[in-house]
Amino acid sequence: MEENMTTAAADDSVVFSDLEGVAAAEQTAEAVIPPKKQKRRINRQKLQDNLWGWAFCIPLIVGTVWFIYAAFIMALLISFTDYSIGASGTDGSLADFIANLGDHIYQRPVTDADGFPTGEFVTQPFYWYNQIFTKVVTDGGLGVSMNEMGRYLFNTVFYMIGIPIGMVLSVFLAVCMSRDIKGGNVFRVLYYIPCVASSISIVYTFKLMFDTNGVINGILGTDGLQWISGGESWNSLTGQESSSQFMRDPFWCQGFISKCVIVIMSVWKGLGGTIILYVAGLSGVNAATKEAAQIDGASSWKIFWKVTMPDLYPVIFYNVVTSVIGGMQIYAEPVLMFGESNYTSGYVSLIWHYGLETSGSQSTAYPSAGAAYGMFLAVIIFVLTLFQFWIDSRKKD
Amino acid sequence: MMKDKKLENVQPNLSENEVLETEILETEAVEAAEAEAWLPAEDVVMAAPQPKYSSVRYAFGAVLAFFGISSRTHNASQKRGKLVGDIVTYIILLFGAFIMVYPFWWMLAGSFAYTNTTFPGNAPIKEMVWWPSLSTLNSGAAGVGFFENYKELFLNGFSSEGSGGTYFAAGFSYWRALGNNLFYSIVPVVVGVITSASAAFSFAKINWIGRNKVFFFLLAAIMVPGPSIMTTQYAMYSDIGFLNNWMVMVIPGLFGSIMTAFFIRQFLFGLPTSIIEAAKIDGAGYFRIFCSFILPLAMPAIMAQGLLSFMGVWNNYMGSYIMISKGSEWINLPHAMYFMNLVYEENNLAPVIAASVVCVLPVIILFACFQKLIIGSLMLTGSKE
Repeated sequence: MEENMTTAAADDSVVFSDLEGVAAAEQTAEAVIPPKKQKRRINRQKLQDNLWGWAFCIPLIVGTVWFIYAAFIMALLISFTDYSIGASGTDGSLADFIANLGDHIYQRPVTDADGFPTGEFVTQPFYWYNQIFTKVVTDGGLGVSMNEMGRYLFNTVFYMIGIPIGMVLSVFLAVCMSRDIKGGNVFRVLYYIPCVASSISIVYTFKLMFDTNGVINGILGTDGLQWISGGESWNSLTGQESSSQFMRDPFWCQGFISKCVIVIMSVWKGLGGTIILYVAGLSGVNAATKEAAQIDGASSWKIFWKVTMPDLYPVIFYNVVTSVIGGMQIYAEPVLMFGESNYTSGYVSLIWHYGLETSGSQSTAYPSAGAAYGMFLAVIIFVLTLFQFWIDSRKKD
Repeated sequence: MMKDKKLENVQPNLSENEVLETEILETEAVEAAEAEAWLPAEDVVMAAPQPKYSSVRYAFGAVLAFFGISSRTHNASQKRGKLVGDIVTYIILLFGAFIMVYPFWWMLAGSFAYTNTTFPGNAPIKEMVWWPSLSTLNSGAAGVGFFENYKELFLNGFSSEGSGGTYFAAGFSYWRALGNNLFYSIVPVVVGVITSASAAFSFAKINWIGRNKVFFFLLAAIMVPGPSIMTTQYAMYSDIGFLNNWMVMVIPGLFGSIMTAFFIRQFLFGLPTSIIEAAKIDGAGYFRIFCSFILPLAMPAIMAQGLLSFMGVWNNYMGSYIMISKGSEWINLPHAMYFMNLVYEENNLAPVIAASVVCVLPVIILFACFQKLIIGSLMLTGSKE
């Protein structure tokens, strides 16, 4: 100990003397070169660092601020207004609109007892937010009414069943692949192919494969099961028209099997990416710990749960967080496969429908409404992510 | 507990042949023992100072040992265990690989179905398992070649003069959609990856005041979900005249993406700073350093991120669907496929599947060429897309 102390002290003194030497050298240098100039040179280096630092990342800053942050703030602002687009185009310039935001806060026409407009208006900044929670959809055929947002959110959450299924499958397959076998790389490539394929091609292929007379029904022996029907009034378990009130009424029954097709498809499509993540995570698992456990006589099952899984946990957590964020934004797959329908479409469909859809039955769309629905989605995703991080922090304690 | 019992029943670790021999002997012994199997179980337990197992359990252990699984009655050879494990792993992985690849085979086979008929119509493609019952080879119709569906796709599929109806602009064709898609996925991706790389260089290797604050300010942007600001972006692009032409698909991409910058930054942290110091001492400016040191050195990461975003943009159906309206000549390939499906769905589906094939094929070929780079980068960075 003492020896160490003394050597450390000696080191210090050496450094000190070095510093002194440097200072002395600087003093002599100052004697030769005017001190002002040297100071400026240091500043110029720092100035260059700062200038070039900003210059290199200015495109990214501009892009992110313009297309994401500015858009987000404007979305928040117009969600209180009645900004609309019609067949003739948008409701004036967005910049002008936001500059005079006060004049455009949503005005709801007042109706009298018989439902006729009285000509007066009530200012309702939270009109769209109110609509999110109060709008009700009614099934003509079934005579069932339900909160619209709840229904679409239910579909979105239903599609997230695929996340745990995919997780278990991909951990299992990743463990298989990281065994010491020949051709593990080939399997990794094969499993990743669906990830790079365009989702529209895959949707059209799956739509035909899951056809009533299609190959899936042929293999499973489920003759005539209507996977791709998506519509109302059919039995969730057989896909046929049903006369049973019980199977027709509850909202979770409607489109049940069609939703399963999307779950199957998203598991199939996402498997390769997560497998690669887990294979990478498994290669980082401490081999020495594993071997020690093996020598101590732990079964391979126990080794997997006690050694491999804790090391894999960060990867799984990252994967779950990103999958939930992605899963909340599902839109294209169900719409391409079944069309827009409150039995199958995800929440983003509402943003599209109220915000931008000017064809069909709707002549005017309200990007302001879309923005309000979008803000709600952002809040949901934010809360879900926070919740996951909270669980994560509790686990560590 | 388990360990003790095992010790009492020690069997020497046998080589494979020995295991087989003892296996046969054991099964014979078991058959003999089965005659006495009516003895009540308590007797067995009572009689055994060291535990004795019922003949059924013993046979089960022997079978397990044959498949390389050690149990209380038998110790299996490790070699056998590895062999059996490998075989099972191969079977599982091959089965999974079949499920992964089969839809692509189905797609390819379906593109050769002949559905341009009134009677079976779309039935051959819908009922297909391995090969369509009525393919372009055996259709028997006059003037139908093997690549009939591709011919239909290239000549009529995406054109208003053909069967495209009102969905497509005048003069639109498959080649125009392909050209648009190439334009949208090459120009913004190449420029965007370079701008991202320059930002990453700045964040990783240049010391400037507040760089970490700026970086995390930008990184926070990934928390804004795309669909949330979709409608506002639409209005914004409409303001500045981006809508319904190439600009909306190209210009936002030119500015780079924060995730790409993030991953390249991670890669750059692994490069030694001494190279940059040396270049600086030799009198190179930052621009020079970026062009002649950072770009070549970080090329694996830049290539991988570029390829991944190329694939993402190539398949970008949503962007075109939202920002470019029906009848515009600037729609991309997936969007055009969507319109084509609307026209062909009822009476002639095979050309749509052919379109799917030619939409998927370039990406798969690209992936096959660069799979080592892409998968290596995925494993390094932990990103999925």
